[in-house]
Amino acid sequence: MEILNGFVDSIVGLFRDSGLMVLGWQNYVMIGVAIVLIYLAIGRQYEPLLLLPIAFGMLLVNLYPSIMAAPTTTLQPVTEYMAEHGGQAASYAITELGGVQYYNVPENGGLFYYLYQGVKLGIYPPLIFLGIGAMTDFGPLIANPKSFILGAAAQLGIFITFIGAILLGFTDKEAGAIAIIGGADGPTAIYVATRLASHLLGPIAVAAYSYMALVPIIQPPIMKFLTTKKERAVKMTQLRSVSKLEKIIFPIVVIIIVALFLPSAAPLVGMLMLGNIFKESGVVDRICKAAQNELMNIITIFLGVTVGATATGEVFLTTQTLGIVVLGLAAFCVGTAGGILFGKLMYKFTGGKVNPLIGSAGVSAVPMAARVSQKVGQEENPSNFLLMHAMGPNVAGVIGSAVAAGVLLSVLG
Amino acid sequence: MDFSDKLITSLTVLLTGFVVVFAVLLILIGIIKGYSLIVTKLEQKVKEKKNQKKAASAKPETSVQQPKAVKVTETVESGISDEIVAVIAAAVDAMYGSSGKARIKSIKKSDNSRSAWSKAGVLDNTRPF
Repeated sequence: MEILNGFVDSIVGLFRDSGLMVLGWQNYVMIGVAIVLIYLAIGRQYEPLLLLPIAFGMLLVNLYPSIMAAPTTTLQPVTEYMAEHGGQAASYAITELGGVQYYNVPENGGLFYYLYQGVKLGIYPPLIFLGIGAMTDFGPLIANPKSFILGAAAQLGIFITFIGAILLGFTDKEAGAIAIIGGADGPTAIYVATRLASHLLGPIAVAAYSYMALVPIIQPPIMKFLTTKKERAVKMTQLRSVSKLEKIIFPIVVIIIVALFLPSAAPLVGMLMLGNIFKESGVVDRICKAAQNELMNIITIFLGVTVGATATGEVFLTTQTLGIVVLGLAAFCVGTAGGILFGKLMYKFTGGKVNPLIGSAGVSAVPMAARVSQKVGQEENPSNFLLMHAMGPNVAGVIGSAVAAGVLLSVLG
Repeated sequence: MDFSDKLITSLTVLLTGFVVVFAVLLILIGIIKGYSLIVTKLEQKVKEKKNQKKAASAKPETSVQQPKAVKVTETVESGISDEIVAVIAAAVDAMYGSSGKARIKSIKKSDNSRSAWSKAGVLDNTRPF
């Protein structure tokens, strides 16, 4: 009988601890959202490298919220503790309350809590930038430095959305964190969100990566709406070849200028340029490959899974999230429009030598946005090759959004 | 924060953001153009010096053959996507320019005679970022 009672108590205990008793309806909704995102990552291949870990992190945290729990300290009377441990004292700190001595017994946090520190402390995004730098060829930008103008113009979405977010009732810091979605750069968005409004990190990261995956759907209608057939058909002349020395000097010059004028952008741009000098110097091939592959992949897993784990039901299923999703889309659209409109200006000033379609690539989202410029241009003129021309504004957009992030952090941080 | 405060903050961020981003990137344009010019001139000088040295030491060459324009009809093997054709055409265009000198004769898949190691080597060196 005693055994049976013990068995029933164990089963009841297990049931009480199980997700069926602990989880709220929000968790179940988020489990559904996570499964949809997993489908989009695998079935539709929407940014699978990031969307899959993000979605799985979201799934895990909503099934088992304690995986993200912070470490805690429990107060246990010293006498009770010693009775439980065969009279042995512990080296824990002691707190005295009402004449009774308590041990501060520490309890470890969940696995994701520790991995999340890399996001919280702003470690992962710069490391991702290191990998991006090691993979990026800034040659098209060096060959045509005017591309920087388009990279800057496409940041318009960030600052216009900031106004929208403020007017919708978000605080200035929250508005800054939401507006950075317009930079179309995941690591930058995460970096800024953790510093300005860490409680909104989950929705911001999910919105940023979702829109980046949807670049081929979001951008073409705006590009076609803002340009004429004649402008879209413009063929651009072949870019000059860039020497190795120019490519080596580039990261040094960029980091000197950016760090001097905007120190808050230095961690992101600095790591981007460090990765790039690894690549262009040609003398640290092993390190370069490690940054491009192993380091980048490991950080991507940690970043994705822990960012996904911030999207718990209670945090995600709010009207704020809806606002973030709408504002994020607006930021993306305005950024694209800003790049295109400046592209049109360049078209006018150069006497029709610049195809305005390359302006939309200024929103970062490397290299997807450049591919979209190529595709839309080729629809108008099949013999048109805009890809390399669009890569200039595209990589300029990465630097531009990091600089814009620096501005937001300086002004609002 | 009332409406006027919100408006002031918004416009401050808009103005600061746009001016700073443009200023930093315009400075970069100027510096990149400047150093590119210097590097190109330096490299030209070095090249000229090398050529002079070569010319002094080597025998005069007779004639240099000019590449002839290629004129043929397109035959693209089935199973090759338009994207691949576009990439090959872009590469040819990049090499010869849009002067109409070059024309793609045919596009065929190569036979799979490369060993796995050889393929891995090619992949490693040609993998896009």
